[in-house]
Amino acid sequence: MTAAESVSASTDPAPGEGKYVYCIIRNDRSREFGEIGIGSGARVYTVNHKDLAAVVSDTPIVIYDPTRENVLAHEFVNETVMREFTLIPMSFGTIFRSENDVQALLNSTYQAFTDVLDKMKDKIEFGLKILWDRDKVVASLERDNDEIRRLKDEITRNAASSTYFARMQLGRLVEAAMEEASNRYVNDIHEQLKDVSVASRSNKVIGDRMILNAAFLVERRDERSFDERVKAISLQYEDLLTFKYTGPWPPYNFVNIKLKLEKAT
Amino acid sequence: MGLLTNILLAPFLGPVWGTQWTLEKIDRVVRDELTDDTPVKEDLMALQMQLEMGEIDDAEYVRREAEIMKRLREVREWREKFGMSTSGGPVRIAESGESE
Repeated sequence: MTAAESVSASTDPAPGEGKYVYCIIRNDRSREFGEIGIGSGARVYTVNHKDLAAVVSDTPIVIYDPTRENVLAHEFVNETVMREFTLIPMSFGTIFRSENDVQALLNSTYQAFTDVLDKMKDKIEFGLKILWDRDKVVASLERDNDEIRRLKDEITRNAASSTYFARMQLGRLVEAAMEEASNRYVNDIHEQLKDVSVASRSNKVIGDRMILNAAFLVERRDERSFDERVKAISLQYEDLLTFKYTGPWPPYNFVNIKLKLEKAT
Repeated sequence: MGLLTNILLAPFLGPVWGTQWTLEKIDRVVRDELTDDTPVKEDLMALQMQLEMGEIDDAEYVRREAEIMKRLREVREWREKFGMSTSGGPVRIAESGESE
């Protein structure tokens, strides 16, 4: 967006009626995906340009709140499309005023879309969130870490005389050991998933129990191996960690096309 | 006279300058806070996590989701007021030299 751009009056018809864009796929003919769109089951279809297609549904020009209902609707369309196509997901809530504007998007970003579609061909994403149970991890550290165990025994034995500083020292030791343990778990898990995935990305953890919030890009043909590997790892750690495993998703975390969009008011 | 005035008024001028500077700074801090939706989005993700972990029930989720949506809308309004970009809503390809 530059200040120099004049916002010329839209030449497109149908004021109030826009196109909600879910994703971009490669398909040179029009396609219908059923009445599954955002806003009580709008018809989902494609707007085509050369061999690219935007998957859209008609929508009033509104700003959609990212409520669970709306996000699930957006997501459900992408999941449906994903069964047959490699797709580039659009960010939630993206609306164009008209079919012409959608075609302008496909035309002006044609090369970038094509490159990314090639790169993402037959790849899917899985989400892996790992949470730990602090008490269990502390208990396991007290069992396995000699220094912590010794200090703890000492404090327990001399409960009356044990100083504030001894307790503080224990606290510090435990904190450091926890951080070390968390890194060890996370590195080990990444290491074990390396040969069944193409790439991974770590996102910010949510809340204070989470130690890993990652996305993995996986070849479709490796889906099963990845699946089995995750199950094996979660068994290995079942006493300490809780695994939240989701997918397959469109490659949300591995596509980063900066679209030059401006507000169409 | 100039020097004396400064000395005499210093205790008064000082704090006034100080206050102005502080107000500007507060203004900026407040503005940053009003227009940043990151904490709201983080709250939304945390809420979702709580539902997934069974820490809250559906009714609780819906109630708190509504609060978060309200906060998101407020941030959006502030961003619009300050002329900042917002996500969602109608967009089009920005016109540039190479467009058709």
